[in-house]
Amino acid sequence: MKLNRFRDSLAMRTSAWVVLGAGLLFLGTLSYLFHRSDIAVKREASNRAVQVLDNTALRVSGIMEDVELAANNLEWLVLRDIDDPEAMVLYANQVVRNNPDLNSCSISFEPYHYPEKGLYYSIFAYRDENDHILWEQEGDESYQYFYKNWYLLPKLLEKPCWTEPYDDAHSDLDRRMGTHMMVSYCRPLYDRNGVFVGSISLDLSLKWLSETISGVKPYPNSYSILVGHGGTYLVHPNPDKLFYQTLFTDGLVKPDPEKYALGQSMRRQEEGMREMKLEGVNCYVYYKPIEITGWSLAIVCPQNDIFASLNRMRRQVGWIMLLGLLLLFPLLALLIHKQLSPLRGLAFEADTIASGDLDHQLEPVERTDEIGMLNQSFRNMQSSLVRHIEDLTAATASRERMERELQIARNIQMAMVPHDFPARKDVDLYASMVPAREVGGDLYDFCFVNGKLFFCLGDVSGKGVPASLLMAVARGMFRILAKQALQPAEIARQINEMSSEENDQMIFVTMFIASIDLQSGTMEFCNCGHNAPVLLSTKGGKPAFLDCKPNMAIGIQQGFAFEGQRIENVKGKPLFLYTDGLNEAENRQKEEFGNEKMLEVLGEDKFVDARTTVEKMCQAVALHVDDAEQSDDLTMLCVKVS
Amino acid sequence: MTKRYSFLIAAILLLAGTTARAQDLEPFVFMPQWTPQAQFAGYYVALEKGFYAEEGLDVRIEHPTETLPVSDRLRNGSCDATTFQMAQALEMLDSDVQLVNILQTSMENAMVIVSRHGEDPTTLRGARISTWRIGFDQIAECMSVERKLDYEWIQAADFLNLFIVGAVDAALAMSYNEYYQILQTGLVEPGQGVFRFSENGFNIQEDGIYMTRENYGRNPGRARRFAQASRKGWEWTAEHPDEALDIVMQYTSQGYIATNRVLQKLMLDEILRLQVAKDSGEREFRLRPEMVEAASELMFKNGMLRRKITMEDLLP
Repeated sequence: MKLNRFRDSLAMRTSAWVVLGAGLLFLGTLSYLFHRSDIAVKREASNRAVQVLDNTALRVSGIMEDVELAANNLEWLVLRDIDDPEAMVLYANQVVRNNPDLNSCSISFEPYHYPEKGLYYSIFAYRDENDHILWEQEGDESYQYFYKNWYLLPKLLEKPCWTEPYDDAHSDLDRRMGTHMMVSYCRPLYDRNGVFVGSISLDLSLKWLSETISGVKPYPNSYSILVGHGGTYLVHPNPDKLFYQTLFTDGLVKPDPEKYALGQSMRRQEEGMREMKLEGVNCYVYYKPIEITGWSLAIVCPQNDIFASLNRMRRQVGWIMLLGLLLLFPLLALLIHKQLSPLRGLAFEADTIASGDLDHQLEPVERTDEIGMLNQSFRNMQSSLVRHIEDLTAATASRERMERELQIARNIQMAMVPHDFPARKDVDLYASMVPAREVGGDLYDFCFVNGKLFFCLGDVSGKGVPASLLMAVARGMFRILAKQALQPAEIARQINEMSSEENDQMIFVTMFIASIDLQSGTMEFCNCGHNAPVLLSTKGGKPAFLDCKPNMAIGIQQGFAFEGQRIENVKGKPLFLYTDGLNEAENRQKEEFGNEKMLEVLGEDKFVDARTTVEKMCQAVALHVDDAEQSDDLTMLCVKVS
Repeated sequence: MTKRYSFLIAAILLLAGTTARAQDLEPFVFMPQWTPQAQFAGYYVALEKGFYAEEGLDVRIEHPTETLPVSDRLRNGSCDATTFQMAQALEMLDSDVQLVNILQTSMENAMVIVSRHGEDPTTLRGARISTWRIGFDQIAECMSVERKLDYEWIQAADFLNLFIVGAVDAALAMSYNEYYQILQTGLVEPGQGVFRFSENGFNIQEDGIYMTRENYGRNPGRARRFAQASRKGWEWTAEHPDEALDIVMQYTSQGYIATNRVLQKLMLDEILRLQVAKDSGEREFRLRPEMVEAASELMFKNGMLRRKITMEDLLP
């Protein structure tokens, strides 16, 4: 029901299309707009993150450079007083005191470097929780510093270096306090002979680093991570991952190509940005190396954070657009409905007119727009229609009258030619006439005068009413002249004289006029431009055209001398007369029936009687013509005198 | 009323029984040779699941500290049993500490050498190879001599740091532990630049539980029950690796061990794999005479043993 209502309502349909179109347009425009905004926000986020990264890296590097500088100075002092083991206590304390970022410092020597000190000699100065500087001599069976990284690395590498973070917990308390993870800057010590004698190590707790970096938050849920040379998390918001896991840990059991690629890139000290999923969250990861240590700092910004305000706006605009479109639909439908109301009135009035009330007065519309024009056109159409119908009614009446008259004319014409054929033993005569239209121009007639049979068959030029009029005249004249027992040539002459007079229309008639003396069988005839009749044989001979002299058709030339002919005895010889409606009868392919076919039909069977011959010919020509329209009047006459 | 009293009496009796049983349990100190990790999962499981108690033992698992190595604790009697690699045990026997193997868990050697830059470690003649401070490296040293590789062994408390910064050319590692730590750095791809001793003619069994012969002799039944419950612990671990891992993580957490669940899971899987003999496909829990002989021969040839140690020397 609703669907029908929608389908049948132009207002609803148009509104739906407009709303759909507007929706698509909005959607396209907003998509483009938001796409551009996405790019801009992303660029802005990138700038922000890179700036934060740069600043943080600079701060971290700054502290580390200070440590390196302090170590360089310390090395100079240590080497200057290398022969005085007690001086090391002073220098170790001094360097921790003078560098507030430092947690501790070790000046350690190879076994038995100072024979009086024994196997171990390592001065360890450190800052306690009350910021007091304390010191102790390290090294015993339980703490063999020679194997520690901070001692081994500069020894093996033969150059200063930063260690990877290491666990330097002296107690569980250290671990709980989070101060156990250290990173050290170490320098090898060589004596005057270039022999390695020990290492100095300046230690930083990673706690300060974590505090420095964790505070960096360009977005509410963003976080920073710092990874060491081996991918170890040095700073990470999840304490379980700190120091014990690397960027590659999870990948050992569940490969994560994105994270692996990020880890490798950070490990290679590259700088960049990656869009990836971290801990199940879509993020942008901006990273940058801290070159001094070979570590890499990254800021992880969840995409939801970066695009939060844009997404909020996107949702708001989406709702507004949806609401707007929903409101637009009924408003538009109402407006269109109102605008179309004259059209509905017009449709109703058109229905009234269509039902036959042609005089119904259309309501005038005071509008000049398309609807006004349509109303005016309807009014014009209505008056034209009324006029046209009136004309049509008159024309129809006239035509019907004419048809009636023509029917009467046909009846009259058909009544003019005899339909009662002589029932005599000595004369067998039969004729048929079928006009192509209501009335035709063919004629035939016969009469008995003074022991002679007069008969004729003619064809007026043209068809229809004009031809029928001349046919009536010609037939009447033949009847009058035949009653005077005139020669056929004389009859022809007199008809010609009368009909050619004032014959402006140049209507003529071809005729075959003949008389047969029933006693002698002599036939006199005059062929006035007509088709030559066929003389049949009753003894199996072939039918043949009668040899006729070429007289002119009647009505063409006044004073023309018609020449008659004579055959001594035609008794027993049937004569077949016809108009050109027979031999020129056409089928749909415009093929004529033809003289040959006519002769063939006439010669097919032995002559029975005149009627059979005519009817057989009728059937043959009907078969040829089939359903093609009859093009000319068709008249045949067959006569045999015994 | 009667029912309630019966229940109360039953509860008191049950409590009394439990207390009595706890008092009856024989104390037993077991000290694995390394810090808490999945390498010792079977023992943690045996303790947590009550397998030791079922055998009448009140087992206390203590892990070694830097100050007092396991061997010293075993000598001075402050622990009853410990785990040793076979080569370590042979060395101790050679130094006149009479040991008895009461349970052999490892059936395959886990030692590998991993090169820092992906080369075949056997092509790195004279290379610096990091190793442990307390030797598990007897077989590796023999290999270095046998193959004339002349490695320079760098003993370090934390090999990984040296490996990462390139202070060493390769690291001696256990396939269940240090090898995964190396993979975790992303520096080398799995399988890259690895020499496996087990696949190169040095397949010597590793972890087994050892006691001094004297301690064992005082109460062989107690030792057998400990071995029996430990074996049960390992079998349960093999059947329930996830639950066993949960127990391991409790121990690593209590010990403040710098590790993570992923590493411990990988370690447990590898340890369980190494407990299956390659040829029989079973957890045999026994010393293989041919491996004892091979280890003894190798170490004797390289001057690490003064005499050849036999299977009989190790068995109770």
